[in-house]
Amino acid sequence: MTTTIMRTTARVVVPIVLVLAISLFVQGHNLPGGGFIGGVLTVTAFTLVYVAYDLDYVEVGVLGRDVDDDVGMLDHRTVTTYRRMFTFGLLVVVASGLAAIVPGAQFLAQTYTYVHLPLFGEVELASAIIFDLGVYCVVVGGLLTIFSVVGNE
Amino acid sequence: MATEAAFVTLAIDVALIVVAGLCLLCGYRVVVGPTVPDRVVALDAIATNVVAIAVLFALKTGRGLFVTVSLVLAIIAFLSTVTVAKYVTEGDIITRRDEP
Repeated sequence: MTTTIMRTTARVVVPIVLVLAISLFVQGHNLPGGGFIGGVLTVTAFTLVYVAYDLDYVEVGVLGRDVDDDVGMLDHRTVTTYRRMFTFGLLVVVASGLAAIVPGAQFLAQTYTYVHLPLFGEVELASAIIFDLGVYCVVVGGLLTIFSVVGNE
Repeated sequence: MATEAAFVTLAIDVALIVVAGLCLLCGYRVVVGPTVPDRVVALDAIATNVVAIAVLFALKTGRGLFVTVSLVLAIIAFLSTVTVAKYVTEGDIITRRDEP
């Protein structure tokens, strides 16, 4: 049971936190930010939803699905998704490191290029964003698995 | 213009000293207590003061990086205060859905 004030605040704050998380994630290749802090802020937003509502709210209230109440938390649908995300992130990190070897560069070597986007103009596109995406998935998947399972103990 | 810039610099320095002093006063409240909510409110006030210090430092040095730091710190301080408040009042922080 949580008060209406907390729920209303969470509704307002969560989108702002997610926008900051995405902006920190995208600017991470040449400014402060990156996959880790973007992931941590995304976890903060989800945890705010979990604290203000409950563990099943993302599944039942947002996505409109039904959950099985009898199954343990480690086999819960969202937690399964988080664990898959963790594995996917590890795979992306390893693959982005190994991909640099193919053209003959060092392991984990990065490069960048400039692309022209409509509305934005010249944008620097760094290959480090793939590595950051892997780190992001590992952080979000790992931390949310821990919070869901340990929080339900 | 030069006097204005000097005045702003002086104001930032004074504000930094004042906020640092407030951090110490809040630290006294954290140590002494006497109840858990007192300590939680004091810790939240310290976090807010550190946010203020980060913004003032960004103004002083002209580096936008510290504004990002203050935003992240403010969000995490908010979440931690809410979490401890829920722990104090209800005992359970994250729960499953109430049985219908």
